[in-house]
Amino acid sequence: MSNLYVSATPHIHSGASTRNIMLDVIIALLPATAASVIIFGVKSLIVLAACIITAVAGEALFNLICRKKQTVGDLSAVVTGLLLALNLSTNVPAWQCVIGTLFAIVCVKCLFGGLGRNFANPAITGRVFMLVAFSAVAGGANPTIVDAVSSATPLEVLAKGESVDVLDLFLGLHGGAIGETCVLALIIGFVYLLVRKVITWHTPVVFIATVFVLYLVFTGDVMMALSQILAGGLFIGAIFMATDYVTSPITTAGRVIFAVGCGVITFVIRYFCAYPEGVSFSILIMNILTPFIETWTEKKPLGGVR
Amino acid sequence: MRKNISTLKLHHNKHTAGCKAAAIAPPEEVLLPLTMHSGSPAEPIVAAGDYVRIGQLIAKAGSGMSSPVHATVSGTVTAIEPFTQADGKSVQIIRIKSDGKMEKDPNLAPPVFDDLDGFLAAMKDSGVVGLGGAAFPLWGKFDAVRRNKVDTVLINGAECEPYITSDHRIMLEEGELLKAGIELLHKYIGARFVICIEDNKQDAIDNLTQVFAGVDYVEIRPLPSIYPQGAKQVLLYNVTGKVVKGGQRMASLGVLITNVSSVTKMAEYMTTGMPLVERIVTVDGTAVREPKNVKAPIGTPISHIIEQAGGLKCEPAKVLIGGPMLGTAVSSLDQPIQKVANAVLAMDKREAVKLEPSVCIRCGRCMANCPVDLNLEGIAAAMEMENEDKKYTELKRLGVGQCIECACCSYVCPAHKPIMHTNNDARRFIKQYEAAHAEEGRK
Repeated sequence: MSNLYVSATPHIHSGASTRNIMLDVIIALLPATAASVIIFGVKSLIVLAACIITAVAGEALFNLICRKKQTVGDLSAVVTGLLLALNLSTNVPAWQCVIGTLFAIVCVKCLFGGLGRNFANPAITGRVFMLVAFSAVAGGANPTIVDAVSSATPLEVLAKGESVDVLDLFLGLHGGAIGETCVLALIIGFVYLLVRKVITWHTPVVFIATVFVLYLVFTGDVMMALSQILAGGLFIGAIFMATDYVTSPITTAGRVIFAVGCGVITFVIRYFCAYPEGVSFSILIMNILTPFIETWTEKKPLGGVR
Repeated sequence: MRKNISTLKLHHNKHTAGCKAAAIAPPEEVLLPLTMHSGSPAEPIVAAGDYVRIGQLIAKAGSGMSSPVHATVSGTVTAIEPFTQADGKSVQIIRIKSDGKMEKDPNLAPPVFDDLDGFLAAMKDSGVVGLGGAAFPLWGKFDAVRRNKVDTVLINGAECEPYITSDHRIMLEEGELLKAGIELLHKYIGARFVICIEDNKQDAIDNLTQVFAGVDYVEIRPLPSIYPQGAKQVLLYNVTGKVVKGGQRMASLGVLITNVSSVTKMAEYMTTGMPLVERIVTVDGTAVREPKNVKAPIGTPISHIIEQAGGLKCEPAKVLIGGPMLGTAVSSLDQPIQKVANAVLAMDKREAVKLEPSVCIRCGRCMANCPVDLNLEGIAAAMEMENEDKKYTELKRLGVGQCIECACCSYVCPAHKPIMHTNNDARRFIKQYEAAHAEEGRK
């Protein structure tokens, strides 16, 4: 009887695991991934493959070279690669995808100690890095399933003061990053994450609502406000990047503050600056503020004396 | 504003709720630790070779907070020796080899008293401790009424841990004894009594409603069946809305909480003179052939108790004394059940999960599920600090002392981190730090 297993309490577990959570995020991204292939054709598969393979191989190699425990099994590298790919357009050549993903995985994630230790979202930072290094990452590519005349993204069109068809925006039948255009697919993923209790509604809803309200207040135009939230990377950013556990606040109050901050910065960049898109920058800036937000919103324990 | 305490919905697994507690064949031997209660160890008054009978005093209460130990079988004391407990502590035990006759001590008689002092002294003699898990001597708990005005006593029959049904059976089978116990408490202490029962035990609620019909100072309070409903701080809040602050005693709020089995066992001593020598133990788990409730002499080895439940149907991977959330895993079936042991669970390979901790991904589930809203991430970070003074200040600021050790955090953690044990380490660190600094102050 000496082979009884002895361990600390508790002796039962909810069954939750990091791997299962990552798997849920991947499943939630599948509708958007499928939409990207439908809208932009097989070219999007090249972007997806380049990013995901590089992310997993990059993390595996890093762990191997640094003699660290192999962590690719937790699937977080797949999530990073997939998210980054969905934030790029089919115009981005594969070699740029590889370099951008390597930056995201190695410099942003692994060098800081891997999953759980990075202060900024790797996919977001990778995208911003590519934006700076290679200029256009989101624009330029046209959907293959519709006859598009303009190669401008809806945000660029909106910035010129012209209007965009809202239904086209909702279905994603326009130029842009492959995974950001189809809002319908992103909302399906959002609902899945809520049902699986992977995330709470606070960050995405507050983020998007803040942008909507600010546009409504500043332009007084409902259609403009609606077009602005449906265009660009707002939905994919709010649902999948701003809710990243590692780089966003852990408290509910903190998440609301974080989301409001993201919304305000996105609006300021889009409305006042020459630059048409601000979601990535807003999340990156709020990532940096996360530790402070957490300090402000710390809960007092029941019966705790301070 | 009343806050909503975070709780978990666990699978109740109360398979044995309908199993009447059955007497078992006498064990060959019982092992009685002198430390089955919190406080100072009991002091043996017998020696190897002495013949003892059931209920006979074999170790008197030590000084200060302590509780006596009584023989739980008739037979011969074979040794008083050190023994390594399931939790790894080395303690003194009295071994009694049973003669199989289970003879009661003929000198047992109900205690006689007519005031609070006499009542508390008798309570001490009963050997009853907090049977819900705290093991705090019952007399010590009620001694607080000398210093505090206690107006409410919560009788804890929540039994929120999965599997365990021993309190449930007590409430079904010993309603009259419970009533006798509460009547005595009411006579000497006053106060109103609230019997708190989770609503998954409707038959117990019905039974006690009937038993206490017409008793105006007793209320039966059904509560939602959620974990950890029975934890003192949670129960106190959910029933009275009060909160024990750090460093405060519950009695100073005018409330005491005691387990339903403790009161019943106390009443048994007061009415028959038989001290705490046996208790109801739930035997369950995926490796047990016939899950049931048994009335087992305190000190009975686990192996004997499992045998009395039809034995094992497969080799167990893990055996617990107590429930799956808070019980202690044993390395050997020679371990005895102590006064607080409400269950023996034998889990098969599938049920006894082995989990490897990985890095925290900051999902926040531990904090979302913490009944007392601890900043568990902050506590884990503080425990990494090297400067002891800073570490101490930060841990005190975070209020880790408020941890109720319910293990909800560890249960939900996707990274499988032993979060509750980090809290325990933190509390131990605070104690050691304070002790070291108190000593420095004296020098």
